[in-house]
Amino acid sequence: MDDTLAQNQRLKAAIHFTTGQICQTIAADCGSEFSRQTIAAIAETTYRQCDIFAKDLESFARHAKRSTINVDDVKLVSRRSTALSTYIQQKSEELASAHQEQKEKRKKSSAKRKHQETEDNED
Amino acid sequence: MADQVEIEFKKETISKLLAKSFKDSKTKVSGDAVILMCEILKVFVEEASRRAIKQATAEDSEQVDVEHFEKVLPQLLLDF
Repeated sequence: MDDTLAQNQRLKAAIHFTTGQICQTIAADCGSEFSRQTIAAIAETTYRQCDIFAKDLESFARHAKRSTINVDDVKLVSRRSTALSTYIQQKSEELASAHQEQKEKRKKSSAKRKHQETEDNED
Repeated sequence: MADQVEIEFKKETISKLLAKSFKDSKTKVSGDAVILMCEILKVFVEEASRRAIKQATAEDSEQVDVEHFEKVLPQLLLDF
């Protein structure tokens, strides 16, 4: 099971890296500075919190008799904080409208292509 | 010049991280759900950082140390 250990290390390192970037950006904004141990502590907490989120998400999906976790499950996970759930609701609406736009673009371009083909055939 | 490079968790990282904790091997996550989870985790880190900075400032400390983070950790976890 050496592979799992290596993968865990890589995931932790990835979380640590991005956490550090976020912390340092905010600290710079506030004119403050984080000690390395503090960033490590925040990264570790985030890593563990993700485990809790994952188990909750899985339970929510299973409760809805699904095996794929979707956006509704994520909205539930954000329910404790009004500000957070409003933010996630907004983001999910942005994603949904982006999908809709893509759909319509594809419809338009496939309709154009069909028109072209029939024109070419008539030649 | 606006330095607005968005720092985000990578979708692949979060997707793998979530998958590690699932009890059922058949459980999967939709693409949009992964994107939203990246947002939630980013907010989590931002919130942790800001609260720790506030604590450090309240204690007249220039640097944010682990003790400052430890003091804000319980409330942070309850709020999430």
